[in-house]
Amino acid sequence: MINIILNEWKMLVRNRVFIYLTIFFVLSLSLVVWMGINQNSAQQEYRNKAQRHVRTQWDNLEAMNPHRAAHYGSYAFKPNNLLNSMDGGINDITGNVIQLEGHVQNEIVYSEASQSLSISKFGKLKSSLLLQYVIPLFLIFLAYGSISNEKETQRLKLLIFQGIPMTRLVFAKSLSIWIYGSSLLLATVFIQSMLIRSDSEVFRRLTLLVFSYGSYYYIITSLATYFSARLKNNTSALSAILATWILWTIFLPKIWGNAVEKIHPLPSRMAFKAAMKEERSKGIDGHNPSDKRREELKNKYLTEYKVDSLQQLPINFDGIVMQEDEEYGNLVWDKHFGSNYTILQKQKGLYQVSGLLNPFASLQSASMGFCGTDMIHHLDFLKKAEDYRRILIKALNDKHAYGGSKTGDWGWTVDSTFFRSVQGFSYESPKINDQMNYYLIDILCLLWWGLLVTFMIKLNTNKKIIL
Amino acid sequence: MISVQKITKSFKDLKAIKSLTLEIDEGEIYGLLGSNGAGKSTTINILLGFLKPDSGNASIKGIDTSSNYHEARKYIGYIPENVNLYPYLTGLENLDYFCKLTGKNYGHNKLEEFLNKCGLDNDSHHRRTENYSKGMRQKVGIAIALAKEAKVYLLDEPASGLDPLASNELSGLLRQLSSEGAAILMASHDIFRVRETCNRIGIINNGELVKEMDTSEVSTKELENIYIEYMQN
Repeated sequence: MINIILNEWKMLVRNRVFIYLTIFFVLSLSLVVWMGINQNSAQQEYRNKAQRHVRTQWDNLEAMNPHRAAHYGSYAFKPNNLLNSMDGGINDITGNVIQLEGHVQNEIVYSEASQSLSISKFGKLKSSLLLQYVIPLFLIFLAYGSISNEKETQRLKLLIFQGIPMTRLVFAKSLSIWIYGSSLLLATVFIQSMLIRSDSEVFRRLTLLVFSYGSYYYIITSLATYFSARLKNNTSALSAILATWILWTIFLPKIWGNAVEKIHPLPSRMAFKAAMKEERSKGIDGHNPSDKRREELKNKYLTEYKVDSLQQLPINFDGIVMQEDEEYGNLVWDKHFGSNYTILQKQKGLYQVSGLLNPFASLQSASMGFCGTDMIHHLDFLKKAEDYRRILIKALNDKHAYGGSKTGDWGWTVDSTFFRSVQGFSYESPKINDQMNYYLIDILCLLWWGLLVTFMIKLNTNKKIIL
Repeated sequence: MISVQKITKSFKDLKAIKSLTLEIDEGEIYGLLGSNGAGKSTTINILLGFLKPDSGNASIKGIDTSSNYHEARKYIGYIPENVNLYPYLTGLENLDYFCKLTGKNYGHNKLEEFLNKCGLDNDSHHRRTENYSKGMRQKVGIAIALAKEAKVYLLDEPASGLDPLASNELSGLLRQLSSEGAAILMASHDIFRVRETCNRIGIINNGELVKEMDTSEVSTKELENIYIEYMQN
């Protein structure tokens, strides 16, 4: 097998077109990686600067009522994962800034796509674009004629005649092209790891990326070589593999994606907001309206402090009410957002199942996941931002309630010393080891396809196809 | 050494071979003459183990080519009508590659020796085969068979498209191989070349061996007349 692989490589490197194309790919990938990293760093620096600016403003707030500060709020900037430079995933279409304030959970806004020129709305040039579309296409062009050329020139008989089993020949040809694709992949990953601060987490993610892309390249080259061996001539082999590639990369993702949205539909933004507002004011399921809740809370505190009126309370009841309303609002949010979260996870899970039919879907999902730019990572950011909002607002409400003011004392203020004592927002992307359960299906689908094409070659490339 | 016993082979309704029997001993060059579609290539494909006869059996050195083709192929050198080598490799590299596929790892000198024996001049050994003539590629093809230490040579229209000089060189090379003990089956419709090269000739028509003769029994003209007579019948 090694002789066949070496021979294939010898022929490839003597082909000038191949050499020029390889140089073109290496340069393109290097450039795209470098541009991606620069772009990523610039964006990250901008966001860090904005986050610092927001914090400085917070730290230097003039003396004010804590509740006023809760409306002033803060902002959470979604940081770019280091590997966002390889695969931007959904980051370009989701927002990257969320305003955190009392009473309300705001939506994340200012997506890249919403601010870009129309041409860049279709996605930035990242190495994933080359690695997912361009290189597999080139591998197809290298592989589709690998056996059919031998057949058409009658060289196949000579080769088989030298005692090489047909399956070994097909595997060797396929592997020689796979090695080429993998070399480009490794070069990309190497350049990427050289240009960024690589810690063990980045290394783990890159390893998983190499595995996913490597598996996909094995599938695509083996299938192209299989078609080349099974079909009568070059034209048939090329048509078959290109049709498969188009089906995988264009049609199936759209068809399946639409089907997933129909099977697990998300409520519209209007319906979502209306339901939240309704339940917050009238109570979850309409059984516990806000005025009733307020009355119960008042009685509870009057009993607890053994006083007759709110003015006699040693604390500021307004702060208690606001925190209670906040917590009730959180319950409503958790219910609705939790439901959306479940739907989004179901959508993702169902989409990932399409990997059984379409390995490209598994590759895309794995690539985004391992680069930390998919929906799972986005939802994690939203959850952490919301958790922080709750900590921030609770700190302000507690200060309002227990800081020394009395009920109705809206003119009471605290100075910046207090504001500085409230912790700032910091976010760290989840570790891939903790998230692997989301991507196991992608890995399994890629493995399933790898085994499938291996068995197809093993079982269906026999001597009958030689003549 | 090459034995074909009453083989028949059909493709759907077409009977390609009808009870064909051939015996070719070592040191013998047998010319199988016939027009296109007469059954020459089918016979060779059965001997190569690429096709299985419907009945009868074919063997090389007593080894059945249907049931034990892997073993039988070890003794066979096959030279197709067009020896298509890898154009980006030199003649020597092509030979080296095909040898390595059989597990034979010859040194540089030995490889050159094989090519020289087949009449490929030294200057051509290190030239890419994309510029080789058909005759030069045939020589490398025979060198591949030679390096494989084949005892049996199966040639399918080897002289087709060769210029007279290259054809003559091919005949000389085959005669040399037969003198070293090889059994050679050469399928062709080139009456002159078959007459010049072979010891024995069989005429095949519509899958049937209609006539066998020793080359010494007929002149080229007589052979041509016999051939035309059978083809017209």
